[in-house]
Parts: sequence; structure tokens; C-alpha cells
Amino acid sequence: MKAAAAAPQDTMHEQPPELRRDLLHRRTTRRALLGGAAGVAALGGAAAVAGIAYQSGGTPKQAATGSADQGGTLAPAEAPPDPDRPIDDPKRRAAHLLRRAGFGGTLAQIEEFSTLSREDAADRLLNYATVDNSALDAKVAALAIDLNQPRPADLMRWWLTRMVYTARPLEERMTLFWHGLLTSQVSKIGPQRAKLMVRQNELFRSMALPKYDDLIKAVSKDPAMLIYLDTIESVKAHPNENYARELMELFTLGVGNYSEQDIRESARAFTGWRITPPRKTGNKEQDIANWDPRFFVDPRQHDTGSKTFLGKTGNWGGDDVVDVIMQQPAAGRFIARRLFTKFANVEPSDQTIASLVQVWETSNHDVRALVRTILTSDEFYSERSYRAFVRSPVEFMVNAMRGLELEPDLRRRINDQTVQGMNQILFEPPNVAGWPGGAAWLSSSTFFARANFLDQLLFGRAKIPPPVPALATATTVEEMVDRALAIFLDRNVSDSARQAIADHAGTIVNPAERAATVAYLVLGSPEYQLI
Amino acid sequence: MLSRRDFVRGGVALVSIGTTANSLLKGTIAFAAQHPNEVAARGNGKILILVQLAGGNDGLNTVVPIGDSTYHSVRKAIGFKDEEILPLESGLGLAPQLTGLKGLWDGGKLALVRGVGYPNQNYSHFKSMAIWQAGDPDLKLQNGWLGRTLDQMESQSHDPFLGFNIGASTPPELRAGKVSIPSVESVADYGFQKAGTITDTISDPRTATLMKLYEQYPAQSPYGVLLETTAESAVSSAKLLSQVAGTYKPAVAYPKTSFAAGLSVLAEAIVGDLGMRVGHITLGGFDTHARETADHARLMTELDQGLTAFYEDLASHGKADDVMVLTWSEFGRRVQENANGGTDHGSASVMFVLGNGVKKGLYGDQPSLTKLVDNGNLSFTTDFRSVYATVIDNWLGVPSAALFGQQWPSLGFVAA
Repeated sequence: MKAAAAAPQDTMHEQPPELRRDLLHRRTTRRALLGGAAGVAALGGAAAVAGIAYQSGGTPKQAATGSADQGGTLAPAEAPPDPDRPIDDPKRRAAHLLRRAGFGGTLAQIEEFSTLSREDAADRLLNYATVDNSALDAKVAALAIDLNQPRPADLMRWWLTRMVYTARPLEERMTLFWHGLLTSQVSKIGPQRAKLMVRQNELFRSMALPKYDDLIKAVSKDPAMLIYLDTIESVKAHPNENYARELMELFTLGVGNYSEQDIRESARAFTGWRITPPRKTGNKEQDIANWDPRFFVDPRQHDTGSKTFLGKTGNWGGDDVVDVIMQQPAAGRFIARRLFTKFANVEPSDQTIASLVQVWETSNHDVRALVRTILTSDEFYSERSYRAFVRSPVEFMVNAMRGLELEPDLRRRINDQTVQGMNQILFEPPNVAGWPGGAAWLSSSTFFARANFLDQLLFGRAKIPPPVPALATATTVEEMVDRALAIFLDRNVSDSARQAIADHAGTIVNPAERAATVAYLVLGSPEYQLI
Repeated sequence: MLSRRDFVRGGVALVSIGTTANSLLKGTIAFAAQHPNEVAARGNGKILILVQLAGGNDGLNTVVPIGDSTYHSVRKAIGFKDEEILPLESGLGLAPQLTGLKGLWDGGKLALVRGVGYPNQNYSHFKSMAIWQAGDPDLKLQNGWLGRTLDQMESQSHDPFLGFNIGASTPPELRAGKVSIPSVESVADYGFQKAGTITDTISDPRTATLMKLYEQYPAQSPYGVLLETTAESAVSSAKLLSQVAGTYKPAVAYPKTSFAAGLSVLAEAIVGDLGMRVGHITLGGFDTHARETADHARLMTELDQGLTAFYEDLASHGKADDVMVLTWSEFGRRVQENANGGTDHGSASVMFVLGNGVKKGLYGDQPSLTKLVDNGNLSFTTDFRSVYATVIDNWLGVPSAALFGQQWPSLGFVAA
């Protein structure tokens, strides 16, 4: 795996499944926090000692919660609703799909998708190859980033721009999925060679819904990956085990489905895998810009001997190793689980995984078939899947810009440090396991960074904030709040939250400032931190 | 038994919600007023700083055998010459970069635990890290080993800074059932900004409205605990940190590395008596599969200079008696170097314990370089849970048996 840079944020994490199980546990601990009748009973005395003037009142809801706590009983009385009941409201379903399979919709898109059947909605997102994306191409061109010699700081702006303006959201969604799974870090590739990260990104985009075997074979030969996991240094006499290990542990099978001996044997199959170097003319920068690295196998360093791997013996090369891996039952379970827990929820039943494995087998390992099955499933459209994840910073930023229909100049408006503070830097995942996600996205530090990103995006440094097109037509405070809630939260918030936003917005006279404030509060709300 | 959080929750029901951020802070103040002994006592609590060396530190090139022909034969390219090694005792010495730690050893402030690992070593970074972070090779215990420890402390007293992490996300060993851990990535950015500058969180109505949304977020909703406690922890910790920032002055010049900068924030929290009992920081980059000599030397220097400055700063502020630093890594490296001037994933490694409360010495047996296991790896001699139990029982003063499901023997590196 890649040696993480020596920064405190580069902590490594366990794999997502553990993390998420733990998170589910946390979701049940609130009662432990709220319990403690003794604590509440002591309150009166404390207030007196502290000399704080408590006033009566508060909203009815809080008063009710308070009295329940005071009695030492646990609120609320009603039976917990069935988590597997379907999401009924068609608009909520449409918005949920657009958030998960893309980066969220505009009000018009939510409206449009709410009239489609599950299958039509999924197919509209999946069959993007013929969708015109020329508007995006124009936006990308306007960035004036030289993708042949990009600065690392430009990479994230380039990709975020793609996500905000693409007419093919699922294509970018899958590209992001692959980047988080088949990781590389630009810091190890080196800033001068950052173009190789663009090339890897374009590989993921061109094979966004692949036969999985093909993608794994392609990424095994991808220049950035060959550098990232040290394959290009692996020699016959001493195979480097880094790629072989992560290929099985993180990309295809998962821990427990291979032995250390399997790692050593398969590492031999990737020895001698190389890329052609830049031509040397004396101008290093120009040489890198002209460099079009090609994969080849160096026969002097490639081990052609017999290898016994996962119970099969042969003179395996790297592609053969991938073929052997893909025949393992664990491979289908692995990728089915990864896709389901990214798109739907983190608690797939054994039955759900088994039915996805069947799709994997009958479709000959087709990721498109798996994604379509998930996006049209009852599980996907159940309440268990609704707001089941903590939003990643990328989902947080891109959905905001798409939903508000902003024309953001990322270079001018947003402070790079604030984006980094949210803790997801594209092309620089924390380590080879990618972003752990889930609860790890939320800390006191990232909480401030999210709020401060919104402040910069919506208010900038000018006296009057820039306009918010999606909210500009609202004529009253209530209408403006309702519109923002419809775009981002499916109008699915408590009355008290809606009222709190409207109350504060009502105190602001300037229309641009009011719109920016409503957007700030809706996008800063607890509900928007979930997806 | 009363935690401030219970207190705040109760208080919210009775206090007018007009300014929510205000009410959270009022809760802190009111708690302090009612429990003066607990709050006054917080500065006396012993503090543990856990330093994660992420990526798998090469223990064999950190604490190095001197005059050992096997070492020289397996480490032809990346081994240190005998005369470069900083000698300790029993034929062992420190990597040449660790001059500061050598000085602390000479001064009696350093202990080393050798051969630390666990049965059936897992060679995956992520699995092995998870094992160390949970304190459980079976990964059945809930939350992190320090989170479980903090949960015990929380029931005795509360401070927003009971646990404190340097970095952007809460590390798994600090995941707790009852305690929310503030994480600070950058002190300058730690607070609500308006037009690029941090505002007073209490007086700003936009911020107060935002905080009200978190407080009103229904209890049964998804991620209810996480969202509300994170917001609360952020506001209350930022307030305290900004108060301390005005009074703390580092007594030494910290090196210009992010690791050292993070250590100085921990020192600030310690010197400012914020009630921290456990701090956490990470130094990453130890996965030295290739070109280890240069990378490992840089990391050793960064570690050595950072910890030395931290110790000296605390000593100057009269706090060195209260703080113990413990380093760990998910595994060591393979004994035999590889063809790329690096080392692959290995097993047992070494841990540093630093502070005035340390009983200087070498603990745990030195693993044999000739009797290897698992195709060329060290056989561990000391279970990592013994190290944890020693720190929890003897330094933090919390009974460890319940946290691990059994009593692990103390190694004795905490001075009586």
C-alpha cells in the first residue's frame, strides 16, 4: 500500500464494513445518552447554584421530551415503524434516486423523474452513452486546465466541475466509485506526473459500467496503479507483494478468502510489468507533457515459472491471476456487497447478496446488470435506505451546486483549505483502502469545515452575496424556504426546523442575503448531512 | 454519575430555546458550577497521548541489535552499521536519528516494549489496525479501546475535552458509547466563519439558528446521536480552545512539521487544563515497501524532534509529570529486506513509552532473529493488550479487566 504523507489527517482506517456496523450500533445508543433520570433530577439544584435564569416555555416538542426524561422513561411511545416499508411519495423516491445514482437533482428533474417507473428511471440514468454532454465540455474548456500538465490542485476542480455540470450523472458517480475502490494517490505518483491520475480517471469513466474482469485487468496495467502499488519495481528474484495483496484484499475478494502463500505466488505473476518511460530531450517538463506511457512486460524480469494460486497450478501471468480470482465465489459476493452498500444501505440480507451474486453469474460479471438490479430493487426504495448514509464532502458540495443551479467559480470562491478541511481530497484518498465513509465523515472539525464551505460558497467576500438562481423566483419567505426544502430535503423535515429557518430568514431584508441564508441553513442542517 | 450531557439534555427541556448555542454553553457553565470539585480536579488527572505510526513501522530498524551478524545479513542494503546505532543496553540501540529520545532515555524518561504483537498476526494494514484499535484480535468488542476507557471516566466526570484528537476524523480507538471526541485539524479554522473570519458563536443569529436545527433534530432520526453530539462538541470545544489560545505560549520552538504542530495543540490543551485525559495524533508514511532508508530516516527524525519538543514544552510548563506518550503501529516489517531497498509487511514491533511517570527500561523479550515464523517474521513475545492494561490500570487509574474481558498482566513500566 501507499505510504501516506506525514500529515495528521492521514489516519488510516479499517475497512468500511466494520465501520458501518459500528455506526449502526451507535445509532441505537442515543437512549443511553438520554437516559439518566438522576442527571435530570439534579437539574433544578444546578440551575439555582449556577444562577442561570431559566425561563419557562420552549417548543411543545421539547417540553414533552423533557418531561419524559424527567420521569426516567424513554420516549417515544409509538412502536418503531417497519424499516423495510416502501418510500411512498413519488417525489421523495425520485429525489432519493437522483442523489444516490447521481449528485442530486434540480426541482425540475425531481419532478420529471417522479413520473417514471423504477425501470424507466434507472434506465434513463444507465443509458447515458447517447446523452449529449457538450455543455459540460464547454464548462471544462473554460477552466483552461492543461490536462497534460495539470497541477495537483487543478485536478479536484476539474473533476468537481464535471460532476456539477454533467448530463450523465451516473457516469461520474461510477467513476467516483471506482476511484474510491481501485485507489491511487497523486502524492505517491508525484506532482510532475499528475497527468497519470487524469488518465486513470478517464479509464474509470470509459469503463464505468464494465464487465468487472475487464476493469481489473485494465487497472492492473494502468500507469498510475503500476506506480502506486509498486508493480513497476517488482523483479523476478524478489517479487513485490504490494499489488498482489491489495488486488485480493481490497479490490476483489476481501480478507479471509486467500492465504499469504496465495499472495506470494500471485505476486510472481506481476513481476516485470512495466511502462515505457518518457523520451528524454533535456526538457523534463516538456518530456512529461509528451509522455504517453505504454504498458509492456519485461521478459527479463517476468517470472514465467509454474505458480500454484488459489488451488490452481499453471504458468500464470497477471491476467490469468485475475481470471482465477474472478472464478472464486468470494469475488461475486465482494463486488455485490460493495455496490449494494454504496448505493442502497449498509445492511444487505444474505438473501439480497445471494440474489445479486446470481445476477453476477448469469450476466457474466456485468457491473451494469448489478447496478440496475440494485437501483430497481425494493431494498433501494425502502425507508431503510433513505438517509442511510452520511454524505461525503463531494456529495455535499456537488449536490449543493447542482440543486441551487449556481455558476460557481471554484477557483475564486472556495478556499482550498476549507475543502480539504472536510477531509475528502479527490485524487488523494487517505490510503489504499479509500475513504472509510460513514461516521468518519463527521467530526467537530469537519462540521465546521462544512459550515464554512457554505459560507464561502453562498456569501463570498462581497457585501451582497451572489444570487441563488434556484431560489430567486420565490416571492415570500415561506415560499423560499419551501423551495429549498423541496430541492434538498424532499420537504421531509420537522415543522419546528422549517419554522426556525423561516423565522431567521424573515429578519433579513435584502433578497440576495435572504436566499443565501436560507440555502446556508438548509444545506447546513442535520438532514442534509445525510444521503 | 451525572454527565454534563445528561445535564444539557435536561436543561434544554426547561430553558428557553431562543439561543440554542447559548444553552449548550450554559449547560457547561452550570455543570461546572454545581460540580466544582470535579472541574477543579480535572487538571490533576493523568494524561495519555497515543501516537499512531501508521503504515507498519520497521521495529527492527527503530530499536536495533548491535553487533548481530544475522541483522547485518538480512539488512544488507538498509541496515545500520553498528557504530551508527545509538546504544541503550543489552546489545540494543536506537536508530541514528533518534538523538532526542536517546537523551530522554539517558535521563530516565523512556521505556521500550519489545516484540509486541498478538496471536495469529494479520498482515493486512486495515485488519491489523482494527485489531489494535479495538484491543481485540477477534474484533468482537464494541468501540475502541480508549473509547471504552473514556466511557468509564465519563461516568466519573465530564469535560468536552476528555478525549481529544488531532486530525479531521475520529480515530477508531477513540470511538466511544458515551463520549463525543473533538477533532481539530487546524486551530485557525476551528469555528464558524463569516466572510472568512471566525465569529462569536453565541451572538450570531445565523449560527444560533443552525445550532437550533441540530438540537431539534428528532431523537429517533438516523444518526441522531452522531449529528447532535458532533455539533455540540464542536461548539463547546471551540469556545474552550479559543479561551486557552490566548494564554498558552509554547516554551520551545516546535519543528515545522504538521506532526509537531499537532503536538503543540495537544500541549495547549494540557497546559490550558482543558480536562483532557486522552489525546491522539497520527504520523503516517511507515509503509516502506521501497527505498526505506530515506523515508524511514525522515520519519524517525520527524518523530524524534516532535516528541522531544513536546516533552520539553510540557516540562517547562510543569506538566511533564502528568503526561505519558505511547506509540504504536499495526505491525513491524519483514525481517529480510526486499529487492527494492524496502521491507514488506511483518509482525511484532516495538512501542515507546515516554514521560516522567515512566520506569526506564526494556520491557518484553527481544524476539529472535533466527527463529522466525510465518515465512520470515518475528515471533511476538508480548501481547499488546498487556501494554494497554498497564497504561489503563497503572497510569489512567481505570480498571482494565472489564474493558478487555480479562485481566492482562501489568508490564511494570509505569513508575510506582
